[in-house]
Amino acid sequence: MNEREREIDLPPELRAAVDGLPRTIEPPESLWPGIRDRIRLGKREGGRGKRSRWWIPLAAAAVLVVALAWWRLTPHSADAWEVRRVAGTPRVNDAALGAVGSLRVGEWLVTDDSSRALLAVGDIGEVDVKPGTRLRLVQARATDHRLALDRGAIFAHVDAPPRLFFVETPAGTAVDLGCAYALEVDSLGNGVLRVTGGYVEFDWSGRRSIVPLGAIAETRRGQGPGTPYVHDAPESLRQSLAAFDFSDGGDAAARTAVGAARAEDALSLWHLLQRVTPQLRPLVYDRLAQLVPPPESVTRSATLRLDAETLQRYWERIRRIAWRREILRDLRDLNPGTGLTK
Amino acid sequence: MSDLERRAQAGDEAAFESLYHEHAGRVFALCLRLSGDRTRAAELTQDVFVRCWEQLKSFRGESAFGTWLYRLTVNVVWTANRGDRRREARVLPVERPETVERPRDTATVGLSLDLEQAIASLPEGAREVFVLFDIEGYRHEDIARMTGIAVGTSKAQLFRARRLLREKLER
Repeated sequence: MNEREREIDLPPELRAAVDGLPRTIEPPESLWPGIRDRIRLGKREGGRGKRSRWWIPLAAAAVLVVALAWWRLTPHSADAWEVRRVAGTPRVNDAALGAVGSLRVGEWLVTDDSSRALLAVGDIGEVDVKPGTRLRLVQARATDHRLALDRGAIFAHVDAPPRLFFVETPAGTAVDLGCAYALEVDSLGNGVLRVTGGYVEFDWSGRRSIVPLGAIAETRRGQGPGTPYVHDAPESLRQSLAAFDFSDGGDAAARTAVGAARAEDALSLWHLLQRVTPQLRPLVYDRLAQLVPPPESVTRSATLRLDAETLQRYWERIRRIAWRREILRDLRDLNPGTGLTK
Repeated sequence: MSDLERRAQAGDEAAFESLYHEHAGRVFALCLRLSGDRTRAAELTQDVFVRCWEQLKSFRGESAFGTWLYRLTVNVVWTANRGDRRREARVLPVERPETVERPRDTATVGLSLDLEQAIASLPEGAREVFVLFDIEGYRHEDIARMTGIAVGTSKAQLFRARRLLREKLER
C-alpha cells in the first residue's frame, strides 16, 4: 500500500463494518422464472449457437450483400420499427407477436394485462410498452418518429436531437426534447407525464407545457397539459393547480397555487404566469420574482406583456436551477432561489 | 469443474437453475451494491444469468465457477452503467460533467443499514470502485482489467469514495 492509499484508508471501525457486510443478499423470488423464460426464448432463436462458426463470415458477407441491395432499392426511411416481446403475448393488429417482429406505419401494438414489449424508435431510441397498452405507429421517417398512444403506459428514452420523436395522446402530443419519460393514458384519454431525463414538451391546441427532469404534468382529453410541477411539490400546490387547470378553479385556485409555491416550484409559477388572467399576472410575477429573482435583462413590464424572449430568458434561469437541484440532490445543499450552494 | 457445472454447460436447464440458486444471492448483492438500486439490481441479476447461460460454453474451469460468474457480473453491470451514463450525458444539459455522475436517491435503494445506504449514495464511479476494492477484495489491477478504466482512475475513485463515505458517516 502506498502513501496515498494509507492516507485515505478507512478508520478501523468503518473497516470492520465494511468487512462485516453480508456477501449475499437474497433477490426477489421472482427472478428465476424471468431468467428461464429468456433462456428458453434464446434456445428457440438458435440456442447458445457455439457449435461451429465457420459459416459466420460467409453468412455475414451474404447478409451485407442483401442489406446493401435492400438499401439501394428501398427508401431510406424505413416504414416499420422492430418490436420485441418481453412478456406474455403482445399483438400487432390481430396477430400474436413472436420473439421479434415489426410494427408498420398504421399498425397497432396491443399488450394485455400480462404482456409487455420493447419497441425500437427507428435507431434513435426505445419505448418500453407496458401491460394494458394500445398504441399505433403513425410515422416512421428519419425526421418524424411518431406514435399514437391510445391507452396504457410507455417508458420512452430517446438519444437524438430534439423534436424527432412524438407521442400523440387523446390529450395532446408529447414532443421529445432529448429525454427519457414515462407517459400514461387512461381509458378516458386522461394521463400523466413523468420526465426522468432531459425535457419533454407537451402540446395541445396551442397550450404548451415544458416538463423537465424530475417534473410531472397531468393531461386531460379536451383540455391538454396541466401546469407542470416538480415531483416533491406540496400537495396543496398540486391540488390548486389541478383545480385551476381542469376544474374551473379560476383565479381563486391560481391564488392558492401562488401562495403554496416555494422557490422549488418556480417551474409551476412560470407556466402559471402565462395562463392566468392579465389581472392576476402581476401577483404571479411578483411571487415568482421574490422566490427566484429574474436575470437582469428580464423586466417586470416585458414579462407581464408575455414577451416571448423575456419569458425565455427567465425560463433559462429557472430550468438551470431546477436541473442543478435535481442532479445535485443529496450531494449539495442548494439555495433553491439561485441554484448556488448554500 | 463440478458435475452441476458440466451439466449446465451441456444445456441442462435444471442444473443451471441449481447454479442460479447457489449463486443468486452473491450476484444480486454485487448488482445491488454496484447499481445502488434494488429494482435495477433485479434486472441486472437476470441479465447476468442469461449472459452466463449464453457464455457457459466458454467457461473452462480454470478458475472457480463463482469467480468466473462474479467477473461476468461486474462486466454486465459496468457495461449497463456506462450505457446509462452515456444516455444521461446526452439527454441532460451538462454544465459540469462531474455532476452527471450523480448520487442515487437513497430513499429508493432498498437497503436498510446506514452503511449500505451511504455506499449506495456514493457517486456511481466511486461506488463501483469502492464495492469492488473494499467489499469484493479486487485489486486495482483487477478492476482496471475488468472494467477498462486506468489503474490510476481506480485509485482516484477509491480515494474519493472513502473520503465521501467518511464524511457521510461522520455527519
